[in-house]
Amino acid sequence: MGLDNQRKFGAIQEVRRGFQDVGYVCSTQIATTLYLAHHLQKPILVEGPAGVGKTELAKAAAAYLDRPLIRLQCYEGLDESKALYEWKYGKQLLYTQILKDKLADLLEGTEGLADALARVHQYDDIFFSERFLAPRPLLLALQEKEGAVLLVDEVDRSDPEFEAFLLEVLSDFQVSVPELGTIHAVSRPYVFLTSNNTREMSEALKRRCLHLYIPFPDARLEREIVRVRAPGVPERLRAQLVGFVQQLRGLDLKKVPSVSETIDWARVLMILNARDLGPDVIRDTLNILLKFEADIEMVEGRLGEMAQKVVR
Amino acid sequence: MEQVLCDLVVALRGSGVRISPSETMDALAAASLVGFQERGVLRDALSVALAKSRTEKEIFTDCFDRFFSPDGFSTPGATPPLAADAAPNETDSPLSQMLLEGDRAGLSMAMREAADQADIAGITFFTQKRLYIQRILRGMGVDGLDRDILRLSREDQETSPQTVGALKIGREFLFEQVRDFVERQYALYAASAQEAIMDRYLRHMKLSNLEQRDYERMHRIIQRMVKSFNDTHSRRKKGARRGLLDLKKTLRENLAYQGLIFEPRWRARKIDRPDMAVLCDVSRSVEAVSRFMLLFLYSLNEELAKIRSFIFCSNMAEVSYIFDAYPVDEALMRLQRGTGLGVDLGRTDYGQAFRDFKEKWLEKIGRRTTVLILGDARNNYGAPETGILGLIHKRARRVIWLNPESPPFWGTGDSEMRRYLPFCTLARECSSVHHLERVVGFLVRQG
Repeated sequence: MGLDNQRKFGAIQEVRRGFQDVGYVCSTQIATTLYLAHHLQKPILVEGPAGVGKTELAKAAAAYLDRPLIRLQCYEGLDESKALYEWKYGKQLLYTQILKDKLADLLEGTEGLADALARVHQYDDIFFSERFLAPRPLLLALQEKEGAVLLVDEVDRSDPEFEAFLLEVLSDFQVSVPELGTIHAVSRPYVFLTSNNTREMSEALKRRCLHLYIPFPDARLEREIVRVRAPGVPERLRAQLVGFVQQLRGLDLKKVPSVSETIDWARVLMILNARDLGPDVIRDTLNILLKFEADIEMVEGRLGEMAQKVVR
Repeated sequence: MEQVLCDLVVALRGSGVRISPSETMDALAAASLVGFQERGVLRDALSVALAKSRTEKEIFTDCFDRFFSPDGFSTPGATPPLAADAAPNETDSPLSQMLLEGDRAGLSMAMREAADQADIAGITFFTQKRLYIQRILRGMGVDGLDRDILRLSREDQETSPQTVGALKIGREFLFEQVRDFVERQYALYAASAQEAIMDRYLRHMKLSNLEQRDYERMHRIIQRMVKSFNDTHSRRKKGARRGLLDLKKTLRENLAYQGLIFEPRWRARKIDRPDMAVLCDVSRSVEAVSRFMLLFLYSLNEELAKIRSFIFCSNMAEVSYIFDAYPVDEALMRLQRGTGLGVDLGRTDYGQAFRDFKEKWLEKIGRRTTVLILGDARNNYGAPETGILGLIHKRARRVIWLNPESPPFWGTGDSEMRRYLPFCTLARECSSVHHLERVVGFLVRQG
């Protein structure tokens, strides 16, 4: 497996081709970052506008490496017990109930409280062993034997305290559980963190990561993405629809269409059997690209002119 | 190679990109992995390791291109004059040889080496340019060249006048090239060091003495300050989110465990979002300062969700919506002119302003509100209405007054500051960004 991955990350072009095979078209920048992250064994912090395929990148990496994807969705209030581990309280309680009788046997023949306590002490770690530990995503990722792809999604939504806690995991790939000691990664996971930039991440976190900014793709790359993700769309239509979306991104919209919406739109157009991108077709399907009434109204006003530009 | 990358890091730091040593190590490792064959790939790799935000990426790209642009000696029209019949003499110094042969690559290399020797990355002030030019020229062996010129002009061989002429022109050319090179390096390394000095200087300057051209820079400084203020503020708030034990919920949830209290449940505590009302004087007497007060207000408005802003002169008007509706320059212009806002820019009347406030907005002040008043308290001998400020003080969590005048002037002439003072939780002089920063620091500490 290790050797296999060495081969998979042999060269930047290799990475790029490999990701294309699993359905993710990446720019040289992205491929370079993936290549470096593998060799430097560093997490990647991915930033960029919504819908450019940040999460998709991690999924593609998992598919390419043939490793399980472990995802941790961040939100305000996320803490260790949800992200790392939790004791199975119910099970602990149940077991103490079941083992009540055994306890009596165990304590038989002891004299005095101190003696009894000393005997119980011999077994005190039983209820705080891995058997009663419910691992959460971070711990799961560390325990995965073959290594995993860990995706910490929308890390900017988590609290600064959680971010600080994440640092230990990211720099040393180990976590401390007070009752058990430090748990090291069996094999280093490949880590992605994504952020929508709702708040600036701390310097310390950034320092530990490679930073990848994914902008909206240019027309050539986006055509390629549509080709891979929505096969069957005729080449002519593909060029037209990508051209139209690229124009939309230049406008002053509340929410510009993302790559995933381009792909959706391409699929819809294919189902509708559209051959050319006329104003009528666009008007009927515009709600797939634009999600605000004001945006739709604004674009409808200049639809004819925009459509003409791409059809030509 | 390491030296080159370290120089790049120095240049980047100068341009305002924060790079830690560990990131430099990453960059070195990344560079050795991808190699130096492909410029684009190298740039991508270094960018991933060094620049950690979108703006930093832009700075990086710009810096990278300037840093790795070919040095001199290849700019159009910069061909060293070739003296065809001035045959290179065996006794000439290497530099004269290169000049006579027109060996541009050699000259360029020699210049680079000399520049590294002279530690060009350390250039900080424009006054150092000449020093560096001299150092580099000397490093390239200009002394040898001078000796050659001197010696050849003394000898009266037939070819020497031509050679001497060629060497003299070559020397001029060399000087120009080195000067251009130093200029470029200066732009790369020093521009930003200057910027840091400039920032420090502006912080302590009186707000009323600032000039138009500094506004832009000031806006950035203030923005940065407000942001750090807000970051610290919100961080502190979130720490104490868990409230008291919720007994009812705990008992209910733990019924499953035979009533043993196993998993305690906590009451959620409401997050205490900062809530502010800012009253800003825009009268003539504080005109120069009010622009920065408004700037500060604008930046606050961008960062805090719950903030109401008012401006006053002869009367008071709410202007919160202006901040959301317009970009900074236009918003400030509108506020200062007061057109269409319902604010009358006549004689300053704190009394009227407070009466307006009491009538329309006093209800909105709760015990979580911080009231911030920016003004010089010069009331043109009108009724000060201290009672209303007292009311505000009673309702609000605290009242902070920032006065552009220094304390000895408070209460002199028509200043009513002394009378307002008892109703302020905090009153401070605020005439430079440095002062503003101190007040913000106080706000954060007090929570």
